[in-house]
Amino acid sequence: MATETYAVDAEDVVKLFGKQRALDGVTLRVRRGEVYGLLGPNGAGKTTLIRSLVGLVAPEAGTVSVLGHRMPQLDVLAHVGYMTQQAALYPDLSAEENVHFFGAIYGRVDGVRDALELVDLWDRRKSVVASLSGGMRTRCSLACALVHKPDLLLLDEPTVGVDPQLRVQLWDRFRKMAAEGTTIVVSSHVMDEAERCDRLGLIRFGKLLAEGSVAEIKAKAGVDRLEEAFLKLSEVSPA
Amino acid sequence: MNARRVEAITQRLLHQFRRDRRTLALLFGAPLVILGLLGYLLRGGGDVPKMGAVNLDSGQLGSLVASTLEGSKTVSASSMSQADAETRLRSGDIAGYVLLPADFTAQVQQHRVVAPEVHLEGSQPGLSQSILQSVSQSFVSLASQAGGVQFTPRVSFLYGGPSFDTLDYFGAAFIGLVVFFLVFVITAVAFLRERGQGTLERLMASPLRRAEIVLGYMLGFTVLALVQSAEVLAFSLLVLHVHNVGNVALIFLLEALMAIAAVNLGIFLSMFARTEFQAVQFIPLVIVPQVLLAGIIFPISTEPGPLQWLSHVLPLTYAVEGLRNIMIKGADLTWSTLQLDVGVVLGFCVLVILAGAATLRRRIA
Repeated sequence: MATETYAVDAEDVVKLFGKQRALDGVTLRVRRGEVYGLLGPNGAGKTTLIRSLVGLVAPEAGTVSVLGHRMPQLDVLAHVGYMTQQAALYPDLSAEENVHFFGAIYGRVDGVRDALELVDLWDRRKSVVASLSGGMRTRCSLACALVHKPDLLLLDEPTVGVDPQLRVQLWDRFRKMAAEGTTIVVSSHVMDEAERCDRLGLIRFGKLLAEGSVAEIKAKAGVDRLEEAFLKLSEVSPA
Repeated sequence: MNARRVEAITQRLLHQFRRDRRTLALLFGAPLVILGLLGYLLRGGGDVPKMGAVNLDSGQLGSLVASTLEGSKTVSASSMSQADAETRLRSGDIAGYVLLPADFTAQVQQHRVVAPEVHLEGSQPGLSQSILQSVSQSFVSLASQAGGVQFTPRVSFLYGGPSFDTLDYFGAAFIGLVVFFLVFVITAVAFLRERGQGTLERLMASPLRRAEIVLGYMLGFTVLALVQSAEVLAFSLLVLHVHNVGNVALIFLLEALMAIAAVNLGIFLSMFARTEFQAVQFIPLVIVPQVLLAGIIFPISTEPGPLQWLSHVLPLTYAVEGLRNIMIKGADLTWSTLQLDVGVVLGFCVLVILAGAATLRRRIA
C-alpha cells in the first residue's frame, strides 16, 4: 500500500480549543525509519499535533493515519511509543518497576532490561523514582516509552531540562534506534537538536510553515544558520 | 518577624481563593447546606415513632391509658387488636405496642400494681426509648386519677434485647460507612495523582481499553478494601462485641459491594476534580449528607416527609438498612427486604462502574 511508506500520515488536521485554532490544517507525512523534527516555539501546536497522533486529541477536521491505520485505533498503539513532556512516572515505584509496568501494559516485559540499559539506568534500577535526579527521571520516562520496541516513537520535547552532555547521549540513542528501523517524531525548540533530524517541520500558529531537510530549509530561507532560517520562515503573520 | 512578609503570604492566599470559585462556594455554601439539613431534620416536624395500644381490659382504666397514649405528642399511638399489633411489629410498621390485659382495672384496684406488657421491635434504641417513656407517662396520669400505683412494665424485644445499646445500633451501620468513606477518598486521590503526574495520559496513549483501566483499579483497591472490611468486621465483633445475630459471610458480602461501589464512585467523581484538594471537597458534598440521611444516626421513619423521600433515593440507605437487617434481625437472602437492599447496592455498583468508564476518555482528551 502507498500509505504504508508513511509511518505518520496526517491530512488537514484542525483542532480548536475554544476559539483558538491549536491546529489549523496541518498536513504531516513522516516516512518510515526517519527522524522527523517538529520545530516551533512554545504554544505553536507541537504537543497538540503529537497528541492527535495517538488519539488523545480528537481533531475537528482532517484525518490521521498511523502505521497505515486510520486513527483512533487502539491496536495500533501497541506499536507506538509516546513520551510526554513531563516525565510521567510513578514516584513511589522504582525505575525498574515503572518500566516493567509499562512493559506489562504493552505485553512486552521482555524489553525491560534492554530499555533500562539503553538509557544507562540498569545500575540504578532499584532506586525509587522520587529519589532520582531530573535527568535520570527523563531517561526513565524514555525507557518506559520504548520498552515495547515500538515502530513509531513520539517524543514531546524529550530534552527539556536535560544537560548538554545527556542530550548528546540521548540523541545518539535516537539515531541508533532510527538506524534499526524505528520511526521517530521529536518535537523541540532547540536548534542544535534539529540539525540531527533527517527532516524538519517548522510549526507555528497551528500551521506547518516549512518542511524539508536541514539543508533544504537553509536554502529555502537563503541563510546559513538554521536559527535564522527558522526566524525568517516563520515571519508569517497568523491568518 | 516582618509584617510585610506575613501580609504577602496572607494576601497571596486570599488571591488564590478568589480564583478558585469552587472552593469559595464550598467554604461558604456547604456549612449552610449541612446545618440547614440538620435543622430541618431535627425540627422539621418529622414523624414521631408509631406504636400500638392493645386494650383487652374489661374495666375503664384500660381505655383511660389507651386514650392518654393516643393523645400523646411524643408517639403516634393507635388502638389495634393483638394479632394486628404483632403483624405490624414484625413488618416494622410500628416500633412497639403496649398490651393492657383483661384484668388490668382489677389489678390496679386490688394490688395497686400495673404490669403491662410492652413489646418492642428493638432494632432502633431511640424509638424504643420514646415508646417506653410515653407508656410510663401515660401511667403517671393514671396514677393521679386512681391513686398511687406501682408501675413495673414487662418489656420484651423482638430484636436485640435489653442489653442492646447505641453502639450495637450504630455499629452495624458504621462497619459499612467506614469502609465506604475511606475507600472512596483513597481511590479519588489516587486517581487524581495518576492524572496529575501524567501517567494517565500515558496509559490513554497505550492500547489499554478504558474498561481495563477501571477494572484494574477496581480490583487493586478492592483487594485493599476487602482486607480493611475484614479487619473492621473482626474488630467490631470480637473486640467491641457489636450485637450480631446474622451470617458473617453476608455482612462481608454487603461490605464488599459497598467497597466496590466506593472505588468506582471515587474514579467517577475524580473526573470532576482537577486537584487532590478538590477531591477532598467531595466529602462535605457527597459523604456528609448521606451520613445524615441514610438512617445511620436518625431513623428514617422519623424524618420530615420530603427528607424521607430523599433518603430512599440514597444508595447508602439501603446498605445501612441491609447491614442492620443482617446483624440485628438475622436476615438472610430469603428475606425480601434484604433482597431489596442488596439489589439496590448491586445496582448502584453497576451504575458507577459504567459512569466511571464512560467519563474516563472524555475527560482526558
